Amino acid sequence: MEQVTGLAPSGSLGSGFNLAAFQNALDAGPDFIGQDAGSTDMGPYYLGTAAPFLPRASYKHDLGLMLDAAREREIPLLVGSCLTSGTRPQLDLTVDIVSELAQERGHSFTMAVIDAELDKEFLKRRLGDGGIDSLGPGEDLTPDLVDRCPHIVAQMGMEPLIHALDAGADVVIAGRACDDAVFAAFPVMKGFDRGLSLHMGKILECAGLSAIPCDLAEPLLGRIESDGFLVWPGDPNHRCTSLSVAGHSLYERGDPGIQPGPGGTSDLDHATYRDVDRRTVRVTGSRFIPEPVYRVKLEGAEFVGYRSIVIVGVRDPVLIGQIDDLLQEMRDHADARFSECGPGAFRIDFHVYGKNAVMRHLEPVAGADPHEIGILINVVANDQDLASAVAMYVRGTLQHASYPGIIATAGNLAYPFSPFSVPVGPAYRFAVYHLLPLEDPCECFPMQLVQV
Amino acid sequence: MATLSQYAAVIRSKNAGPFELTFDIMFDNREAFETIRRSGVITARLVAQLYGISDNEVLVCRAYDPALSFKITIRRRVSSDDFGESDVYGCQQHIPLTAIEIPCPRVD
Repeated sequence: MEQVTGLAPSGSLGSGFNLAAFQNALDAGPDFIGQDAGSTDMGPYYLGTAAPFLPRASYKHDLGLMLDAAREREIPLLVGSCLTSGTRPQLDLTVDIVSELAQERGHSFTMAVIDAELDKEFLKRRLGDGGIDSLGPGEDLTPDLVDRCPHIVAQMGMEPLIHALDAGADVVIAGRACDDAVFAAFPVMKGFDRGLSLHMGKILECAGLSAIPCDLAEPLLGRIESDGFLVWPGDPNHRCTSLSVAGHSLYERGDPGIQPGPGGTSDLDHATYRDVDRRTVRVTGSRFIPEPVYRVKLEGAEFVGYRSIVIVGVRDPVLIGQIDDLLQEMRDHADARFSECGPGAFRIDFHVYGKNAVMRHLEPVAGADPHEIGILINVVANDQDLASAVAMYVRGTLQHASYPGIIATAGNLAYPFSPFSVPVGPAYRFAVYHLLPLEDPCECFPMQLVQV
Repeated sequence: MATLSQYAAVIRSKNAGPFELTFDIMFDNREAFETIRRSGVITARLVAQLYGISDNEVLVCRAYDPALSFKITIRRRVSSDDFGESDVYGCQQHIPLTAIEIPCPRVD
């Protein structure tokens, strides 16, 4: 093959995409369709619970369009990081949706299902071998930490995906995977350069975010050749420019030039971006520098308790002027009232919108003087009832708190609706963010072939 | 005195993984980019001052020539969505950068 063309329908599965542009992109004759379906970006809840970010129907809608297009043209469809965090329950959900779609629409094909959730006993055994470094500021990976995380996934590189394609898969449904690998697997399997393929994958994984106008729901095409790749948007009225594509190369990465991944590092410092026509960009010079040890990133979210919230508004300037002191008083009252629960049984956070709820310790503006504020009372406790009890106690004491200069004695808080207290459910924090060395890039990503 | 937002086409913040916040300052023409680069105002020290953090919490502060951009990455004291954090995507932390003062007057 002298060139391989990949199509990214959207930057986020389930959010919908421009169908006219998708059809237009299909007319360009892509050799495969790739779709990223997850991220850690939306927070640890989805990894902790293995719940999908969006409703099932949203994913089914998008997957149906992609599956129809891929089967009609008999080109591979690869979906990575299903469905949000790449855990086993989320992978099972994807398989369920795809199987249902196949039945409803009369498609039959070979589906590869690649699991990225680690068996905890396997991981604990590997702890003894050492060499598992933390990527975050977090603690060392210990058996205890492994047990505190309901699900731990490893982020696969392109090798398990290539293995699935090699085995004859028409549709590849993968658990947690590197976004760029989903798009690099097919080109690398066909013999194209790894560095260029990964860079093209990095551009394609967010689809139209690299184009003008910048929109995650706009399909994007990439065509790799022996010494470079082209990218352009599916919508003929949209454009990729050398700046829009170069700019996307730094998106969500700590360093623009050096981007580490499984098995090595992408070096984009020597990449060049050239406008080929008014809507197509050609990229050359991106390189992959292999590392002696192949390492994959582990992700796990530990359970920290149950959350309950109350949202209220305040319009009284006399109260707003004293809000920080009053909220401290409310904390003290709650600590006294619930002291029998023991230390650490609950934590209270106040998000004071209108006054530094967004930037917190990074906020340079001091002494804001808003005419109204919103307060999100955020409580995480050992059980849901305690979280709700503390949140309701805090809002009750604040509702009727007296303060110097008070003019209204009928209540301090405006509630937007009832019920006041909302039980949010379990809360998590990212705790596992470590590198696991592997002997074989496929060793912790078992693949199953299913005839659908 | 001009501000950075008068020169830059894009100033944005976002997560780079759950433990880092990353900022992109992007220009739509080389002249503006070179003006800022030559001015030397964008430094790790300035970023630390703007956000009230220590110098060693600024992990990256560099220009990326192919994209006419500057990249800044800082450590999050509290990881995305951990208790006490309030911007899960980290996409509303860019505003202090917009007001960076540029010593040379803008020439159009």
